Amino acid sequence: MVRRPFLAMAFALWSLAAIHPAWADITVLVPSGSEGDGLRAAAADYAKLKGTKVEIVQAPYNNVFEQAANAGQTKSGAFDIVLMDDPWIPFFAENGHLEDLTPYFQKAGKDGPDDDFLSKSLALCRNPYNSGPYICLPYVGNAQMFFYDAAKFKEAGIEEPKTWDDVLKAAKALTDKGGGRYFGYVFRGGQGNPVVADFMPLFWSYGANLFNEDRSKVTIDTPEGAQAMKMFMALRDVSPKGVESYNANEVGQALAAGTAASSINWPNWVATFEDPTQSRMVGKISYTGIPAGTNPGSSEIGHWTMGIMAAAKNKQEAFDFMQWATSPEQIKVSAERGNPPVRTSTFTDPDLTKQEKFRHYPVLMKAIQASTPRPRHPKWPEIENAFGIELSKAVAGAETPEEALKNAQAAVEKIAGTK
Amino acid sequence: MLRSRSAAVTQEVAAYCGIAIALVITLFPVYWIASNSFKYDIDIFAIPPEWYPVNPTLKHYRAAFIERPFLQYALNSLIIAVSTTAISVVLGTLAGYALARFQYPGRWRHQISFWILSTRMMPPIVTIIPLYVAFNYLNMLNTKPAVVIAYTAFNLPFATWMMKSYFQDLPVELEEAAMVDGDTRFGAFLRVALPLARPGLAATSIFCLIISWNEFLLALILTLTERSQTLPIGIAGRVTQYHTYWGEISAAGFFACIPIMIFAFIVQKHLVRGLSFGAVKG
Amino acid sequence: MTRALPTSTLSHRARGSGLEQWVERHLRILMLAPAMLVLLALTIFPSAYMFVAAVTRISPNPDLPWEFAGLQNFTRLLTDQQFHIGLRNTLVFTVSSVTIEFLLGLGLALLLDRYVRKLNVLKTLLMLPMMLPPVAVAITWKLIYEPQFGILNELMFNLGLPPQAWAGDARLAMLSLIIADVWQWTPFMFLLMLAGLASLPIEPYEAAAIDGASAWRQFRDLTLPFLKPVIAIALLLRIMDALRLFDLVFILTGGGPADRTKTLSLYIYQVAYRFADQSYAAAISLFVLFATVAFSTWFIKRMRLAE
Repeated sequence: MVRRPFLAMAFALWSLAAIHPAWADITVLVPSGSEGDGLRAAAADYAKLKGTKVEIVQAPYNNVFEQAANAGQTKSGAFDIVLMDDPWIPFFAENGHLEDLTPYFQKAGKDGPDDDFLSKSLALCRNPYNSGPYICLPYVGNAQMFFYDAAKFKEAGIEEPKTWDDVLKAAKALTDKGGGRYFGYVFRGGQGNPVVADFMPLFWSYGANLFNEDRSKVTIDTPEGAQAMKMFMALRDVSPKGVESYNANEVGQALAAGTAASSINWPNWVATFEDPTQSRMVGKISYTGIPAGTNPGSSEIGHWTMGIMAAAKNKQEAFDFMQWATSPEQIKVSAERGNPPVRTSTFTDPDLTKQEKFRHYPVLMKAIQASTPRPRHPKWPEIENAFGIELSKAVAGAETPEEALKNAQAAVEKIAGTK
Repeated sequence: MLRSRSAAVTQEVAAYCGIAIALVITLFPVYWIASNSFKYDIDIFAIPPEWYPVNPTLKHYRAAFIERPFLQYALNSLIIAVSTTAISVVLGTLAGYALARFQYPGRWRHQISFWILSTRMMPPIVTIIPLYVAFNYLNMLNTKPAVVIAYTAFNLPFATWMMKSYFQDLPVELEEAAMVDGDTRFGAFLRVALPLARPGLAATSIFCLIISWNEFLLALILTLTERSQTLPIGIAGRVTQYHTYWGEISAAGFFACIPIMIFAFIVQKHLVRGLSFGAVKG
Repeated sequence: MTRALPTSTLSHRARGSGLEQWVERHLRILMLAPAMLVLLALTIFPSAYMFVAAVTRISPNPDLPWEFAGLQNFTRLLTDQQFHIGLRNTLVFTVSSVTIEFLLGLGLALLLDRYVRKLNVLKTLLMLPMMLPPVAVAITWKLIYEPQFGILNELMFNLGLPPQAWAGDARLAMLSLIIADVWQWTPFMFLLMLAGLASLPIEPYEAAAIDGASAWRQFRDLTLPFLKPVIAIALLLRIMDALRLFDLVFILTGGGPADRTKTLSLYIYQVAYRFADQSYAAAISLFVLFATVAFSTWFIKRMRLAE
């Protein structure tokens, strides 16, 4: 009787000791989802090609930032490469967690990445934005598009929504007719990243932004901001109840199930919308650029980029892998696996554009070229959080839009340390 | 106290109804996740909802366990849970017995008991960064032993506390009798107290196993890949930025519940008796 | 109830070797030591790190040195809105959940104890929720609460009530959280109460029945006092766990909407891992730790659990 726990302990220790897998040559941190799956497959291909073992660590979106930040702060060397959502780049770059790629390019005889990459994609990968040295390479060319049910919009009198007023008009008509089970518009109201990501295009299309040109002033509580907020609230009124906690999943499902007529969303949802086992709206959803307000509509860019960590153990091999993974051939393979590309050649490749599931490529490429990135600030996670809370409160009706703008202004000022 | 028969019967019926309702409420969510694990995505999202899988499919189980490494996650969870439980229960039983039976100077015993309890009050969140730093220094990140060590930190106090209370409820006379008969104190512990405390040991072990099997936060930070990731991490990982893979989550989630359900049934007698302090009478 | 064994050996003949005798004499230390040492080793470094972190400023840049910051991190607690919200949410959640769990658990235990004593299967089934991984529970309830295709709204629809956003509704999120937690942890209370009830002595009840005491009076004057130690432990354990709740909130609501369900543990996580501010996170954690210790001390004294 006493023997049993000792046996259990012995067995446990033995099994712990017995399992020691082979070490990988490079370790890559990626988000769960199609980017991660795509890179996982690419790693397997690379292993066969070069014999280098690439270990892929997948984590949910938020956890990717946390793991990478943890590794960077403690110089743990747990990862050689991290896949970063572009708003995170200033945090990692300015805290010294990323390796400057210039010497690696020079060693390979180049100045930098080639110009088949979209210019807006490359601009993200430099710190400071668009001017400093390269600290990462673009991998997944995400930029928001506007998705809508063309037939329903036509019924409501709008051929193709060009401005937010168009959208509001159609959405209101559709929601009024919908009787509580069908809505003309849906968006991500979840506090933090979701609501901020869905609000920024609106913000920009009325000429507002979080900071001024040189990041010395916070410019949230401005007349432009108020206008954007007004349209946002109007759209909220014609959206389903509960949007204040929606994330991309709920929004995508609403469109796929045919319970909402339009939304902003990310391109990899196209695959889901066209999949008959997941969508009731196959072939019925159209894509266009972000509608305009007082300014032309600007899609929000949300690229995934690959960078080498400063404390990585195998930096040269990491760089070689990155070069390979972002080469034209591999970007095309990645596109076929469901990740939007970052190269002009891939976007215009007839093999791809002739396929139904890539019919949105021309729209997407245009969207990227006309896109705006979210503000580049090393404290972006905190700023996004604070801004997101106020937006979420406004969406939930817990405070007035005016209060939300005022509080957001004050909170961001405190974080950014400006006035 | 006289009570009419009909009132008593009504009471009984009402009681049974109450129990039945409790049973339904308790079991329905488990049934729901199980049934959803066998439905196609489009049926999961059906309005009005399907109460049972009309078109059952094993697609999600295939996706989770064959295409994705959920089998490995489960194995990791098992190894970690068993290891932690073994260490915690063995050390905890010894310590619990000591605290229950021996005199300690001054208010030491009270202090020690309290200190053991207080390790359970520590919010695990910030201890993780130093743990991460420590394991990184020892090159033990993303290994199962690291997770076991971290889990022992909170399972051990629990096991100690539990066993202490079980031993306290065992009358000392039996052990004294054994010692009068010539056994040593430790011998009395081994041959008299321990067998009597078997239900308590079972209960404690099961609780430790469950806690370890279910733990999420520590594993989230300390594990990185299939080498050491556990089932809860795998399940949470299917809530991605764009998509909640409801089917896979239901499959993996239900699977995570199965071993626990089986185990609970096997030891149900011991478990209930253990917590009923069913030992020597009067 | 308990009596410690005497510290001198009772055996009246010398047994075994010198080592065995030495072991016997020092048993009280030897049995306790392994556990103590392990715990000490596991808690000393994290605790030290935490204390140091709380009084410094640690930058996310690993090449910058740690600056001493005195009590700055703690004074920040006084003006931090998000911290106050976290504190309020945690308290509301803890008090509500534990109270409901206790009442339901006790009620169910009383029912089962009186009417269905023998069915172990029933007890095991009713115990199920607390055994399940909190992650699985969170996902299940997330599905149930889902505004578009979740069955709760289907139920509302059938009852003629308007559909709600539940976990996504600023007014209902906390309630949704509490419901899920109550579902999962009432069995814990139930189990402990049942065990306590099963060990009640019969004689006092027989005497009371002869004296003509009503069921309610028997409950109030006999059952409750007998159960007090079990109730106290159950409450203490549940409260300590509810104060540290993480998994359920993390997955079900993530702290939203509008911060309505952001508990302290979630806030600490956010500060430590999303804002990369280890020092402030350590300060908040210390606050939570001290508060919990203070509460537990008071509670134990109050319930006279000191042993």
